Amino acid sequence: MKWPLTSFIAAASILVSTQASADTLDNVVDRGTLRCGVVLDFPPIGYRDANNQPAGFDVEYCQDLAKSLEVEAEIMPVTWSERLPVIATGRADVVFGATSDTLARARTVGFSIPYAVYFSQGVINADSGIESFEDIRGKRVAAALGTMPEQEWLKIAEQWDETHSYQSYQSENEVFLAVAQGKADIGLTTNTAVKAITEQYDSLDPGPRMPWTPDYTSIVGKRQDVTWLNYLNLFVTHQVRSGRYDELWSKYVGAEQSPELRIPGVLY
Amino acid sequence: MQESMSFFTGFGLNDLWFLGEAALKTLWISVLSISIGTLLGTFFGWLLHEGKWVATFTIAPILDVFRSVPLIIQLVLFYNFAPIIGLNFDPFASGVVILTLYTAALVASVARGGIESVPPSMRRASRSLGMSYWQDLFHVVLPIGGRAVFPAWVGVVLGVMKDSALVSVLGYVELLKASQVLITRTQEPLLILAIAGAFYFALSYPISRYAHKFEQRWSK
Amino acid sequence: MFDYNFHWRPVLKTLPDLIQAGLTTLEVASLSMLIGIVLGLCLALMRMNMTGPLKWFAVSWIELARNTPALFQLFFFGFGLGAIGINLTPYTIILTGLSFNCAGYLAENFRGGFQAVPDTQLKAARCLGMNAWQAYTRIVIPQVFRVVYHPITNQMVWAVLMSSLGMLIGFRELSGETQFFASRTFRIFEYFAVTAVLYYIIVKIVLAASRLLAMRLFRY
Repeated sequence: MKWPLTSFIAAASILVSTQASADTLDNVVDRGTLRCGVVLDFPPIGYRDANNQPAGFDVEYCQDLAKSLEVEAEIMPVTWSERLPVIATGRADVVFGATSDTLARARTVGFSIPYAVYFSQGVINADSGIESFEDIRGKRVAAALGTMPEQEWLKIAEQWDETHSYQSYQSENEVFLAVAQGKADIGLTTNTAVKAITEQYDSLDPGPRMPWTPDYTSIVGKRQDVTWLNYLNLFVTHQVRSGRYDELWSKYVGAEQSPELRIPGVLY
Repeated sequence: MQESMSFFTGFGLNDLWFLGEAALKTLWISVLSISIGTLLGTFFGWLLHEGKWVATFTIAPILDVFRSVPLIIQLVLFYNFAPIIGLNFDPFASGVVILTLYTAALVASVARGGIESVPPSMRRASRSLGMSYWQDLFHVVLPIGGRAVFPAWVGVVLGVMKDSALVSVLGYVELLKASQVLITRTQEPLLILAIAGAFYFALSYPISRYAHKFEQRWSK
Repeated sequence: MFDYNFHWRPVLKTLPDLIQAGLTTLEVASLSMLIGIVLGLCLALMRMNMTGPLKWFAVSWIELARNTPALFQLFFFGFGLGAIGINLTPYTIILTGLSFNCAGYLAENFRGGFQAVPDTQLKAARCLGMNAWQAYTRIVIPQVFRVVYHPITNQMVWAVLMSSLGMLIGFRELSGETQFFASRTFRIFEYFAVTAVLYYIIVKIVLAASRLLAMRLFRY
């Protein structure tokens, strides 16, 4: 393994020094396709319909973005843990994947202004007896690998000394399946998914809301590419101004007021 | 509020079709990588046999890496490395590249064994009958050595076909990924896994039976 | 496009954890091999000596294990069994899955091994006054192990490589741990490159250990 690594690094470093300066915006317009990473196991934000085609809030957002650029949208299904690497390695132009704009992630990728807001909430097995957040002590907790609930929970679990009872799954759906089958007592997800999920399974109930802060999620683009991130910011404001944001939110999430995207008390 | 909107739907006949199509994709990616990989691997095997010292220090260690690192790690590594050097490979292409190299690494040692199973006296005999080196290789070594290692080669083929399930990790919707997609949507893991298992069995079992028959007929 | 910056520092910082996880990999692989050898021996004997349901059971186990992907088998022991209320922990899933798979492959190796020991030896042992148990454990099985020693070593390497599938079912062996760290730092390539090296080292250690053991066991 030694030789490929060193030669890879050598090749890459040569290439780094001769990088072209064309930005993503130019590339997308020139290529005629927008490569969108979307997480498809996150109903109703991203899922597959009865014909196994991608659908959901994020999918429509991607198509809207492509339309604004007058290019074709190419939906690239990604998992939770893949969604940032696909940007870092340049495999996708943009990722819609309910990505929280944490500072740790911002070291690797660039974020637009928030385009959707979520709260972390649990779905519980009907037999688990969990009613409040404190009840989670001593229970088996599951979440999807590389998600914000996972990272937030592990911080708390460390204080409670319960990291050993945490289970990590490849996708949010596996989390729900695990809780429904009784492999775990509570699965951590977002408020938007809870209704759809608990209607689907008899053995699942809505669980307590998690104590951490609301999840401001952003469109993800290449960190170095500020002009592209500016374009994404403008796109987000246009979606709100044109009423498309409200329309899609009520279509997929339900009638409740679409959340306010401004963060109170600070200029963003 | 659209109450009627459903994000989960039951298992239907079109889903069986979806699985069947995915099984064809499994077959396609396997056939492609196995055929290229076998040609490549045979060539490597010949190199290993002929270029004894040079080959031992050049291609042998590289092929060894492909046999000593889990396929899933190879796939993830290559898939994430390709875009870094500017290759825009989709999951299918990345899968084919790695599966081909993986097959080649396995076939190389099989092929080398095949060449070495032909007694040198027989090769000397064919050369003294006036055959050229290449005539000897294609008309003597290939049929006799090939026959000796045919069962081992079939083992590689079946292994690679089953290992192609790992390309699902990159998001290529082959048989196993398709069944995951359906489990996500229909929430009926047992039924769907049983069907997917039946498809795999149907792809693999006949080949292994057929090879076994062949082997028995030859050993008579 | 070529503006990827490598970050190796976070990977090196977690190297001790990765090595620890590598030991977990070895542990799971060795345990499932031990179980696999015992079960494989039973399956081989059942397939050769029994009739009726017991033989049928052994044949279906062996064929299912050999003709479906290992990853499929793991999914089956995970969510498949979960659907009927049997919930295994990730550790048990990987252990059951690998043992199931190894037993199937080893059973066929053992069968070949038994066929390689001539019948007359068993008869001779019985004539010398040994009972059936003595004849098997002292005469036949030691010879069988000699024949299948190399295949068992290969299977052990396979078990190490296959245990990497643990990352897809939430088990934190070497690959799972790597994936977990990679998902926190988004440095997939760097992490998996280091893990590939670790796997290579583990496989080399296994092979070296097997060679040493063979030298002790089979010297005459």
